[in-house]
Amino acid sequence: MSAYIQIQNVQKSFEGTARQIEALRDVNLEVQAGEFMCLVGPSGCGKSTLVFIVAGLVSASAGAVHVGGVQVLDPDPDRTVVFQGDAVFPWMTVAQNIGYGLQQTNTPKKEQEGIVTHLIELVGLSGFRDAYPKELSGGMKKRVDLARAYATNPTVLLMDEPFGALDAITKEKMQEDLMRLSVTENDRQRTVLFVTHDLEEAIFLADRVAVMTSRPGTIQVVLDIPFARPRDASIKLSNEFQELRGYIRELLVDDDANET
Amino acid sequence: MAETRGNDEQGRKQKSGPKRILTAEATVSIVTVLLVVVIWYHFTDSIIPKLFFPSPMDTVLVVGRMEGVLVEYFIATMYRVVVGMLAGAILGVLCGIAMSWNKWINSILDPLIEALRPIPAVALIPFFILWFGIGDTGKLILTALGGFTVMVVTTLEAIKHVSPIYIMAARTLGANRLTIYRTVILPAITPPLIGGMRVTVALSFALVIASEFMGAQSGLGYMIMLARRTLQTDAILVGVIIIGITSWIVDRMVRVIGNYLTRWAPRSE
Repeated sequence: MSAYIQIQNVQKSFEGTARQIEALRDVNLEVQAGEFMCLVGPSGCGKSTLVFIVAGLVSASAGAVHVGGVQVLDPDPDRTVVFQGDAVFPWMTVAQNIGYGLQQTNTPKKEQEGIVTHLIELVGLSGFRDAYPKELSGGMKKRVDLARAYATNPTVLLMDEPFGALDAITKEKMQEDLMRLSVTENDRQRTVLFVTHDLEEAIFLADRVAVMTSRPGTIQVVLDIPFARPRDASIKLSNEFQELRGYIRELLVDDDANET
Repeated sequence: MAETRGNDEQGRKQKSGPKRILTAEATVSIVTVLLVVVIWYHFTDSIIPKLFFPSPMDTVLVVGRMEGVLVEYFIATMYRVVVGMLAGAILGVLCGIAMSWNKWINSILDPLIEALRPIPAVALIPFFILWFGIGDTGKLILTALGGFTVMVVTTLEAIKHVSPIYIMAARTLGANRLTIYRTVILPAITPPLIGGMRVTVALSFALVIASEFMGAQSGLGYMIMLARRTLQTDAILVGVIIIGITSWIVDRMVRVIGNYLTRWAPRSE
């Protein structure tokens, strides 16, 4: 069986002010259906760009991305994105935000209502259905964003450092919630590509971790994470977890040393 | 120290009482206004001759003398302001959106707007009188032109500054271009458009009054011009005060509507 997400020889250069910047070089990566894959790498290595290419928001300079056997050319509600920044529409209520994708895909009104209500409960925002985002904390807004990405029931969930701007405690809570969501809502059918520079986050969440090099970014190595799902935060303290973390850290440091 | 705190607490208790309607800030504002009227009353009719500035009494009396004409002129001016302003603003916003939607529309309209923008609309009044006479048409077009220029520039700038993350999010959730304009760009640019609208209100009053100065058969500007010729300072002042109050009320209305439309926006107050 071929992989669900196939990234083949993807290359990306930007026109910089002075010269061309090569962001990605010969990126090859396969993500299996239902797999949770984390992308880690030094900042500026193009991991966000890679996710945007898979989303169809940015086009590759060369190479191709296939999802479910179809080449990615445009964005599609079957591949939703949770961004690093605050992408929740401030002019829409919590319910309107979560239902946005359903409205675009012409889901029947009754069904929309049901899905939105279910997701609001699931992310613990029951009392905030008709609240505007300005009344919510950063963590609550991220939950809205997460619920909105889940609403269209996409086969691929793309996450670009979604919890990067949150404080440590909120971040941990969000990770555990995501772990819970991936059990109750995913039925292991949803494929997730999750960008982070937080190694602990990557190991805790991922089935496999892809380590990238610094710019021009390319895949250095892909590691299997052996912990069984669903995972509890306590595994972070285990020796095995910490050894993995140390190993990945060394890969990144060595890469940095080669660079300079 | 302790004493001050005690007073403070007392003051707060008083404030929360049911009979307290005015805040301390509002009271100060009202006192200021009353003070101005008292000074006005004291200095006019004595130190300052009536020929230069009328007393409060003269000003009130002239309203009684003129009432029928005053209402007629007021309606004439308001019609020009409101219709001209709304037509110009709506056209300006639509044009701004069309220019950001399509680069060809932008290439056609941009040089025309850039040529018009630096010209103060008042400078065109002689042309407008020549072309349209001294009736309503020329004044409406002139006012609309002023509002149009303000709103088209405001709209273009506002669209340029819509955070790309919202547009990307909408695209990944399946929104097409038209939907993005309707559900993302339009609400996102509403706060700056309200600001532009307030500028447009002030400009519209100025343009209508100026064009009534230069040639009209009705309107508050026309009334002020007539009164100037016969040195009726009380009638001039009445015109000025009415313009000031209505301009303030229209601005207030724009703010109230604007606050409702942008009730989602975080405010620092």
